[in-house]
Amino acid sequence: MAESSKRPHSAPSLDPRLTHAHQLVRKADKLTTLSFFNWWPDWTQATPLYEQAATAYKLAKMLEEAKTCYEKAATGQERLSSPWTAGKHMESAGALAKELGRIDETVVLYRRASELFLECGKAQPSADVLGRGARAVEDESPEVAIRMYLDACAMLEEDGREQMAFDTYRAVVNLYIKLNRFKDAAALLVRWGQAADKCHATQSQCKAYLSAIIVHLYDEDLKQAQQCYNDCSQMDVFYKSDQGETAEKLLSAYGEESSDEIKHVVDSSYIIPHLDHMIVRLAKQLPKGELKTIFPVEPSDDKLNEDDLT
Amino acid sequence: MSVIDILTRVDVLCKKYEKYDLDRQREEDAAVSGRDEFAKLYAAIEADIEATLQKAEEAKSEKDRATVATLNSGVRRSKAAIRAEIPKLQKLAVKKVKGITKEEQASRPDLVEELAARIDEISDGITGNLQNPMWGGKAGVSKPMEIRVDTMHPDDLMRPEHFEATEESTGFRQEFQARKTRQDQGLDVIAEGLATLKNMAGDINEELNKQAPLIDEADNKIEQAAADLKNTNVRLKDTVTKLRSNRNFCIDLILITIILGIAGYLYSVLRPQ
Repeated sequence: MAESSKRPHSAPSLDPRLTHAHQLVRKADKLTTLSFFNWWPDWTQATPLYEQAATAYKLAKMLEEAKTCYEKAATGQERLSSPWTAGKHMESAGALAKELGRIDETVVLYRRASELFLECGKAQPSADVLGRGARAVEDESPEVAIRMYLDACAMLEEDGREQMAFDTYRAVVNLYIKLNRFKDAAALLVRWGQAADKCHATQSQCKAYLSAIIVHLYDEDLKQAQQCYNDCSQMDVFYKSDQGETAEKLLSAYGEESSDEIKHVVDSSYIIPHLDHMIVRLAKQLPKGELKTIFPVEPSDDKLNEDDLT
Repeated sequence: MSVIDILTRVDVLCKKYEKYDLDRQREEDAAVSGRDEFAKLYAAIEADIEATLQKAEEAKSEKDRATVATLNSGVRRSKAAIRAEIPKLQKLAVKKVKGITKEEQASRPDLVEELAARIDEISDGITGNLQNPMWGGKAGVSKPMEIRVDTMHPDDLMRPEHFEATEESTGFRQEFQARKTRQDQGLDVIAEGLATLKNMAGDINEELNKQAPLIDEADNKIEQAAADLKNTNVRLKDTVTKLRSNRNFCIDLILITIILGIAGYLYSVLRPQ
């Protein structure tokens, strides 16, 4: 066989399977490509052939061929009006594309898979597959990954399943922190808190708010942190919770401008170690930066002179 | 016998039983105590004690509260006065005096102690009520450190040694502090454990809330699938029965035999003769 000469490393035992796979592909192609003799592509027969060939290629670690086969199988399933299986095949193709290192293609494939699942009317798997795709590409292209994550969250929220979105939120927050985009991270944490509020997950809500305040403080933005705390304490749940108390203690320690006090609050707290590990890492590094820069010297109120009676 | 003999005999007898002569003794004592300050003071104090006891008895039998109070205060005053004499007596007790035996000399300090105790015992309306230990339930068990309330006499409070820290009290204070610190440490550990438990419980609660609707959905779908399966099974059974029932089988066999018979007959007819 011509193909076997290209792969001197493949074991002899695999070769018959590979040849079989090649045969399948060729047969399926013949069935599907339009030609003079073939007016209607026969997807019913071709799709299982493609699926078999794809599994064989995957076992043989011939990713390129496997990916192509999966894509064709997905198209077949689609034509056979089973978008569910089509979506599954697309996802497999996307995973292989990621292994091949083709990020753009990966993104395209995963998005297509998610659309297919939406066609079924199933939002949960659609969001799941977007999440998996985002995780696959987050190392190489974080922006795209963030987009995908946020789309997944939006999808779940539309469907009314906010609780499922918590994991996705967590992934995005970690990504933001890795990218040092603290303001975005804090904003997203507040959004996460809002989602938790809708489904009455008070524990997650309070943790999210506390994490937001800590992120602001890590970003050396005391004013934002205080504003955040004020906003969040409008909610009784947070105000009366342990997390709210810890936040208050932390902010008052900052108000006293003593880094020892801040460190003491963080170390002796029983609440902070139970937050997400990235947030705990940030908290352990508080107070970050010079305290003087956090507390800008206010312009003195000399204008309001006591002796000035005008 | 002559008068002189009788006189001599009487003298001998008297000398022999001299010590039983009370009047004589008293005279001698008076002669000795003329020089013995201790004895004089002792006698004086004893007389005072008697008088005070008398007053105390009166106070006990009095019904009128005001009179009782007055008498009690009088008793207290006398007690205080007598107590003030005790130190003087103690000093005299150790002084050597001629004319008394060695044993008496030795016993004098004890006498002084006894006298002091008697003074304390005189009830003056304060100590009489509160001689019992406050922990009535443990009557009969005398602990080394019984706790009494309000048994401090005003004189005791005035003594400078009263407020100093003794060894016992400092030791007790240190032990108390040490135990308190250990308790605090233990409580800290418990608090940390409880906080972890609370966190875990909250998370589990949320997780369960998240999964409850999922399980309900899965439950519904499985019910649906089970119903479908049951349906299909019944239909399959019907079909198979229809296909392979015995009656149909026999009919099939008979028909096949008839056809074979007809075919054989035709063959035999059409075979070239």
